[in-house]
Amino acid sequence: MEFNVLIGGEGGQGAFSVELELTETLTKINYHFFATKHYMSRIRGGHNFHMVRIADHPVHALNGGKWDMIAALDDETEALHKPDLREGGSFLSRAMTKEIGEESQKLFGDIRSANTVLVGCVLAVIGVTPERMAEAAEPGKAEYLKKGYAFAVRWNIAGAFPVSAAAGCPVKFDGNRALAFGALLGGCRFMAGYPMTPATSILHYFAEAAQDLPVHFEQAEDEIAAINMALGASYAGVRSMAATSGGGFALMQEGVSLAGMTETPIVVAVAQRPGPATGLPTRTEQGDLKFILHAGHGEFPRVLFAPGSIVETIELARKAFDLADRYQIPVFLLTDQYFADSVQVVEEEKIPLDLITREYPVFDATYKRYRLTEDGISPLTFPGLSDALVKLDSDEHDEEGKITEDPDLRKRMMDKRLRKFDLLKKEAVPPTFYGAMESAAVVLCWGSNRLIVKEAAERLNADGLSVCALHFGQVYPLTPAMIAPYRLEEKKRICVENNATGQFAGLLKRELGIVVDHNVLKYDGDCFTVEELYRRLKGLLT
Amino acid sequence: MEPKIETAWCPGCGNFAIRDVLEKALRELPVPQNRIVLTSGIGQAAKMPHYLDVNYFNGLHGRSLPLAVGIKLARPDLTVIAYSGDGCMYGEGGNHFIQTIRRQLDITILVSENQVYGLTKGQSSPTTGLAVKNDLSPGGNPNLPLNPLALAITMGTPFVARGFAGDKEHLKALILEAILFKGTAVVDILQPCVSFKKINTYAWYRERVFKLERPLTDCYEAIRTADLWGEKIPIGVIYRNDGAPCREVKEIFRVPLTKEDAASRLNMRCVMMR
Repeated sequence: MEFNVLIGGEGGQGAFSVELELTETLTKINYHFFATKHYMSRIRGGHNFHMVRIADHPVHALNGGKWDMIAALDDETEALHKPDLREGGSFLSRAMTKEIGEESQKLFGDIRSANTVLVGCVLAVIGVTPERMAEAAEPGKAEYLKKGYAFAVRWNIAGAFPVSAAAGCPVKFDGNRALAFGALLGGCRFMAGYPMTPATSILHYFAEAAQDLPVHFEQAEDEIAAINMALGASYAGVRSMAATSGGGFALMQEGVSLAGMTETPIVVAVAQRPGPATGLPTRTEQGDLKFILHAGHGEFPRVLFAPGSIVETIELARKAFDLADRYQIPVFLLTDQYFADSVQVVEEEKIPLDLITREYPVFDATYKRYRLTEDGISPLTFPGLSDALVKLDSDEHDEEGKITEDPDLRKRMMDKRLRKFDLLKKEAVPPTFYGAMESAAVVLCWGSNRLIVKEAAERLNADGLSVCALHFGQVYPLTPAMIAPYRLEEKKRICVENNATGQFAGLLKRELGIVVDHNVLKYDGDCFTVEELYRRLKGLLT
Repeated sequence: MEPKIETAWCPGCGNFAIRDVLEKALRELPVPQNRIVLTSGIGQAAKMPHYLDVNYFNGLHGRSLPLAVGIKLARPDLTVIAYSGDGCMYGEGGNHFIQTIRRQLDITILVSENQVYGLTKGQSSPTTGLAVKNDLSPGGNPNLPLNPLALAITMGTPFVARGFAGDKEHLKALILEAILFKGTAVVDILQPCVSFKKINTYAWYRERVFKLERPLTDCYEAIRTADLWGEKIPIGVIYRNDGAPCREVKEIFRVPLTKEDAASRLNMRCVMMR
């Protein structure tokens, strides 16, 4: 059983708050859900809508079918979305939500109580009892939720779409919180940032954590300062990160190159949004893969992760810090607005909690920061821990870290830095495979499409079509060993991406010689829904 | 006297004198050498750390200050000094200069001030005087020169000084005072460029500089003093405000974080998306 509800309204009307409170309460009363939003780049007005899928089983994507319920806080919601209401679905018209507003104001003396009342009404529709609501209510809000239940009874929609609460011990995450949590587990203690949608809530998480944990967040004057501050902290011995979106990352590039040359560990999270330039600030796209792959002048090793589930995000964010530190390289975490802003439930026992710690080796006065070693990794230490002086230079440098223009030394230093890449390839994170190995077709994807593709492939298999899926959480480097088990060459290959040019398909060809037969692309700023992807894939498979 | 180690500076460069002074000052500091970190940007002056025996992060053009901020926030136990030229600090890094002062950190900012771009061979810097001619401004520099000292004072820098590479003892005392001052300290150091600046020579400066007898503590008087240029050029502590607060930085380096600390971050309220 599942229930799909859309809440639409102007910016500032409370639809955001309704989603926040609804997901908060659903978590407390053990429901599986997936919630995402479509919002405009403005604070007031316009038209935003919030989509929540509530189910008796784990759900990690938008269904994309008809809505079981629509709540209209503005007239546009009715005009735009009512045609997508299923037959017999519950529709709260603008007049009805106004009624909620007026009665709430009268009863509770606070117009904001109407948000909670609406939450109570939605919960009533899926069969939550007033008693259960009261248990989960925030202090002082039980009466609001109960009032919402009363509205549902009045309008004869209480229990219209019953869904049972089946999540054992749910923890809710959005993509940005998962990333920040993984960073904490990975030992990240310093973040510098400049606000940019859709990455800003990563900054919030760190600013909040800094209130009571040994973590620091610094709001930088711009993205150039942000990455340089993070590099300074990293040099001083504190695992550090910067987080931004494509436009901010454009400014950070010189810092990425600096990390490459000085071999300073750094993790950069890029929550992508549609470009070029300011693009669609609050919508989604996977358009910056090639940009990040090539960002920063000069040649140096790097790793790009693009996780596609909450648990994978926590794990890869954690691993990013370990890799960055061990190899002294920049590591990138690519997400997108869709994943960053979607809230979903993970059962607590599945959440990784192990922390990664590091050593602080000490050396004597003969220490050389860039000692030429067989594997290319020079021992790393930090200022003030011993007699070792730590000297970093953005110019080409000798083993000690002093400027050099010696051609032979230049070549040896380049070779040293690039040697690390061979080791990195051996540590590549394998892709995740879904379905039967002997399938006739394979859907290839990366980043946030993982669980949309998984569910769409399941539906296709239920229709009797033979299709499997392969998701890449590590998108660079790509190695033959990563795909060897899946015999891709024997299958029809379809690559699903949220961009206009099939960037990952291009990378698969360049790095692995894999040519895809079909690209399924979307670049209108919205994510795929399961239904939409299912239809588009079905068209290619039959 | 020029040092024995090979440097990338021109013979007679004012940076040699500053290097000698810095070396002595760092040795005299009551701080172990391994706890001193220099950051620098790009330019002739930014090569300074290479010729000193300290920890350093010689970063990119204009970025010595964000690096210094990151280091200080991560490791308040380290003595952090940012060193670069006027082009790097006030041009490419001009906004960082303003914003770093606002952060109220215990960082010392030393600027080799020669009013010219040396490494790129003689173009205007942010402090080049109006109408000064060079290859990129053959008709004369059309831009007003920035006054770094007045800017620093108005931004609230609690310690602002000007030194002269031609008076080493005086400069050394200034640098020591700046580093030991608890709070952001800016020292703009007049440094003749022998290759590209034929007007502001050692002799030109010697005729004009005069030492302030004591630090000024009134910021308006300090701004008026910072504005003096031409016939009379003041050197010394232009402004000192011992009552200015200095931001306390939390210890994060090697402070353990437990599994429980991490778990405490689960199920926090989501924020509205931004």
